Amino acid sequence: MKLKVYADRMSQPCRAVIIFCKVNGIDYEEIKVHISKGQHLTPEFAEINPMKQLPAIADGRFKLFESHAILIYLACAFPGVADHWYPADVFKRSKIHSVLDWHHSNLRRGAAPYVFNTTIAPILGRPLNPQVAAEAEIILSSSLSKLESFWLKGNGRFLLGRNQPSIADLSLVCELMQLECFPLTYTTPVLDEKDRTRLLGPHKKVQQWIENTRNATSPHFDEVHRVIMLAKERQQHQRLKAAKNEGGSNMKRPLVSRM
Amino acid sequence: MKLKLYADRMSQPVRAVIIFCKKNGIDFEEIRVDIAKRQHLTTEYAEINPMKQLPAIVDGRFKLFESHAILVYLASSFPGVADHWYPADVFKRSKIHSVLDWHHSNLRRGPTTIVRNTVLAPVLGRPLNPEAAAEGEKFLSASLSKIESIWLKGNGRFLLGGNQPSIADLSLVCDIMQLELLGETERNRFLGPYKEVQQWIENTRNATNPHFDEVHKILMKAREKLQNLRLKGANNEGGESDMKRTLHSRI
Ligand SMILES: N[C@@H](CCC(=O)N[C@@H](CS)C(=O)NCC(=O)O)C(=O)O
Ligand SMILES: N[C@@H](CCC(=O)N[C@@H](CS)C(=O)NCC(=O)O)C(=O)O
Repeated sequence: MKLKVYADRMSQPCRAVIIFCKVNGIDYEEIKVHISKGQHLTPEFAEINPMKQLPAIADGRFKLFESHAILIYLACAFPGVADHWYPADVFKRSKIHSVLDWHHSNLRRGAAPYVFNTTIAPILGRPLNPQVAAEAEIILSSSLSKLESFWLKGNGRFLLGRNQPSIADLSLVCELMQLECFPLTYTTPVLDEKDRTRLLGPHKKVQQWIENTRNATSPHFDEVHRVIMLAKERQQHQRLKAAKNEGGSNMKRPLVSRM
Repeated sequence: MKLKLYADRMSQPVRAVIIFCKKNGIDFEEIRVDIAKRQHLTTEYAEINPMKQLPAIVDGRFKLFESHAILVYLASSFPGVADHWYPADVFKRSKIHSVLDWHHSNLRRGPTTIVRNTVLAPVLGRPLNPEAAAEGEKFLSASLSKIESIWLKGNGRFLLGGNQPSIADLSLVCDIMQLELLGETERNRFLGPYKEVQQWIENTRNATNPHFDEVHKILMKAREKLQNLRLKGANNEGGESDMKRTLHSRI
């Protein structure tokens, strides 16, 4: 039976898992679960993941959720995954665990609530919370600095000074790609690249590393990210239109269309 | 060279690592880094862990931080650690990763947040923050209910239906133990509804004793101190209002 991947490509950990499968030639069936339609909250999906979150997999009778755990499982259980993704060497492997653990309470804790409270919330019919966004931005900025100064220290092209990508590169870069999708923020009306530039601009190594990871997983990286690029374009379009209608007046609240 | 463990036993991930070493006969040197004295913020310690957090280990020239990663490393590289702590079987191992990943963004955001914004705040010279504490309570309640209904489902004595503890049991139980600092009434208010959780804490404690109790001793002492502080505070207030009353009656 083919591996089943339950996914919504708007979600960053889902994209990491899908790209990983594609790059490594793992045959899988993608089962779309649309978060914006509440499909992850159904009793059927709770059978797959009782925590009602994405991604999740079912490999035969074996079910698993949490994207890091899934990536490790896939790297271990499928033959043909190159060692650099999740090295057998216990020292190298431990460092990758360390980055992945750090991701949870730092980069993810910053990026996810930041993007949610500047962009995504209205799509899901929830209010934007500027205070939460402001707190998240602090964590996000400090995480980006740590990436630049510590995890990307040295001359390697990837995290931990490595020259080939690991599951940690994929997981963290997909998280950062989420920043692509917020041309709309609660403070700035028609500003597309400004926030991204403000946040990522000072971090040259981070930018280069995103590019390196993208290249190393091409063409799948772009293909799997197409959905957020399209969402971004749609939002930009909406904003321009709205700005025109209001004569460019200062909109405090973004107008987000149904996606 | 002996394994070095940078530790402050007031920290729950630190306790998990210490108990793990003791239980598995891993020889280590405990290097105290007192968070209350801000010793984790020194430049020397940043050489060990640039994130300036505890725990961290140094094994020869190999440095590592993040308690889950440390537990996995120790279980993988020290001979004599029984398989049940971190099974070689890829399916069992993956489930343990899943629990540990889940821990980060759920349970971990409960006890610490509550403790820091209630009983510990005055000690650390910070204002009480009931809003943050309430947020922590939300994470705690939701997490305990998931542990009870999902992770402890079935008849096993440990997480995932296991009959022997894994690093996940140790990590999560040490986290919940932080609630002891709130005093018995508060702790029971949170844990009361979750019978399976209570039993599992007891099982994990028994499976790792006497080390579990020994390593938690500092927490119990801190609980007493905090309680005394609270009593004194209450008395002082009482004293003050007594004084006011006397003043009033004079007038
Ligand atoms: N730590 C988890 C995070 C999973 C997660 O937060 N998934 C989000 C999408 S990015 C989700 O399912 N959100 C829907 C919800 O929580 O209701 C992982 O890495 O898999
Ligand atoms: N995810 C980390 C958490 C580490 C952590 O939060 N450590 C705390 C003590 S429990 C600390 O060092 N706090 C001091 C600080 O952050 O300034 C782990 O499991 O090791």
